[in-house]
Amino acid sequence: MVVKNNIPSIVFIAPAIVLVAIFVYIFSGWSAWTSLTDWRIIGRMGKFIGIQNYIKLFAGDDIFRKCLYNTAKLIVLFIGITLPLGIICAIFLDLGVKGKGLFRAIYLIPLSFSFVASATMWGWMFMPDKGSINTLLRMLSLDFLTQPWITSTKQSIISVAIVYVWQFSGFATLVYYAGISSVDPDILDAARVDGANTFQRYVRVVLPLQKPATFTVLLILLMYSLRVFDLVWLLTGGGPAFSSEVLATYMYRVTFNQNLFAYGASISFFMFILSFVVIIIPVLIGTLKRMG
Amino acid sequence: MRKFLLFTLVVVLCFFTGALLFASEEKEQLIVYHWWTAGGEKEAIDAVFKIFNEKYPNIEIVENPVAGGGGGVMRGQIKTMVMAGESPDTFQLTYGTGMLASFAEVLEPIDEVWEGLPFPQLIKDMGTVNGRKVSIPLNMMRCNCLWYNKKLVDKIGVKIPMKNFDEFFAACEKIKKAGYIPYAVGAGSGQQFWWALTVEQIIAGAPHGGPAYVDKMYTGKANPAKDPAIREALEFLKTIMERGYVNTDYSALTWDQASDLLMTNEAVFYQMGDWAKGHFTSAGWKPKVDFDYVTSPGTAGVFTLNLDGFSLCKGAPHKDAVMKWLKLVSSVEAETAFCPIKGATPPRLDAPIDMYDEISKDILKAFRDPSTKIVQCAFAGPPEAWLDVYGGVISKFVESRDIEQGIKDFADGYKKVFGK
Repeated sequence: MVVKNNIPSIVFIAPAIVLVAIFVYIFSGWSAWTSLTDWRIIGRMGKFIGIQNYIKLFAGDDIFRKCLYNTAKLIVLFIGITLPLGIICAIFLDLGVKGKGLFRAIYLIPLSFSFVASATMWGWMFMPDKGSINTLLRMLSLDFLTQPWITSTKQSIISVAIVYVWQFSGFATLVYYAGISSVDPDILDAARVDGANTFQRYVRVVLPLQKPATFTVLLILLMYSLRVFDLVWLLTGGGPAFSSEVLATYMYRVTFNQNLFAYGASISFFMFILSFVVIIIPVLIGTLKRMG
Repeated sequence: MRKFLLFTLVVVLCFFTGALLFASEEKEQLIVYHWWTAGGEKEAIDAVFKIFNEKYPNIEIVENPVAGGGGGVMRGQIKTMVMAGESPDTFQLTYGTGMLASFAEVLEPIDEVWEGLPFPQLIKDMGTVNGRKVSIPLNMMRCNCLWYNKKLVDKIGVKIPMKNFDEFFAACEKIKKAGYIPYAVGAGSGQQFWWALTVEQIIAGAPHGGPAYVDKMYTGKANPAKDPAIREALEFLKTIMERGYVNTDYSALTWDQASDLLMTNEAVFYQMGDWAKGHFTSAGWKPKVDFDYVTSPGTAGVFTLNLDGFSLCKGAPHKDAVMKWLKLVSSVEAETAFCPIKGATPPRLDAPIDMYDEISKDILKAFRDPSTKIVQCAFAGPPEAWLDVYGGVISKFVESRDIEQGIKDFADGYKKVFGK
């Protein structure tokens, strides 16, 4: 009966489900199968070797461990800065600061940039000797603030995070601003009548109501930071000395530059599982909770 | 209204009829992939395309230039295309036994193109995989070139050539004291594979290295954990890094940006293949006036060789067109049109040399000299994975400068490349 009543809906969503099933899950399955082989010659499939690639990955690959560490560091830095920055900017917008329109245009511009353009632009800005950031600092006699940015093994991943924050803080601001704008004015009026000042109204009333916005922002930022490839590839190439190598760049390097196709597939399948655990499961839990 | 509809119908019909007629007259195609996109390179390959178009006006060249990564980006793209069953007709590949063997399963033999061609035996052997010829070279390059800013060398009074590492270090020290960068390096922005080429020249010039050892190393017969040449090469790198002979932004610059340091009078030496000459001349620098080269320290009489070739891809949709293309590539006509513009040299022994500049003539003279020890370079001799693996190994070493760990990483990388 349920099926009969929902036939039109099923018909409408069926093409999308079929396409996702084929192009996401069947190919992921193929990738999983590939990761269990020793395929390393282009044009000739390898033989089944069980979970040897995974054993090598977790037990004997220092670069992979470094990539995991770098990815985790990027996530913490990126989300740890972008979320609060988004909230602060959204509150300023909501307070009706002067030049709101201009500010909105400025923070949204980075979002419209492709990663290729931002990586190229920031790459030039980060150059230690001739880059515009250090040049500007030197012009202002602030030499002590100049940094090696992308050429330092200690700072390269931080530089990647800076570009990511620059690119996505506008998105976080946008989502939070929408969330803050949709707070019922009656609730805010009630708080005002109860004697709450502006700061208290935002902290005690508005922010606790931003859980859905936070969930959306967190999810999107997490997704982008887990799969980051193009920005790192073009900004630092994963270097120097693997200091900014992340899972996706290492997977590409191993697969296409070193021809270790099966080993690359094991990294890619690990990324799939990681994304599933970190992103899909919380989404499912949230959905189930909402359904009661 | 009716008139308008009729008019629209007639226009639409005309459009489709025209489109059908156009489609039925479609030319035969030649789908070519290459990575020559920089100044000089593009004009060079366009000159060969022009000859092909004149010879075969009915074949349309579908050119797919893929920039980046010294061909690495294009090679990655070719692999995905072949795996997806969308093989191109022909593609550029650095020409040598290891690199070609990495692609052996997707290349068709082209022995018929090779019949009677006057190439040196070494070059014939380099294009042979499992007894069959699978590629044909178009141009040739020398990798063990140490470029220098002639005016700065004269001004500082650096003694050229430097026969060994010690003489080189002494020259670097003098340059550093004069306030210039002695040795420019550009292995950033995803170009860390240049370290693989740099370390090859160091190994070729190391006291226990040399061309025979490089050859042994590239064929999987070396033992990097114990071979002294590897330790010597790493010590060389440690010395130039610790003494501050290298530009501090080496891990941010691309190869051409590093070579620009010579042209801006900031650096004196630059280790790179002779394609750097094309970059210098395209920027207006004059060979033997503004810049010159010597063989890398310790490599006098050695020629680390790189070539670019084209192959017939398995499953190529236009095989006849490819065979015509490969015949052209193998000709003196194509080499003569291509090499002078690109700044490269012709691999055919019967190719004329009078149109080349003094540096290219010198390189050709060395190549054709029977006493020169020729060895395949990192782009050609070892399996393709070498470039990425050793780009990583050396870029890690130059940061840590830990010799013992460097030797261990070198040996681990060897297992990765040769699978043993």
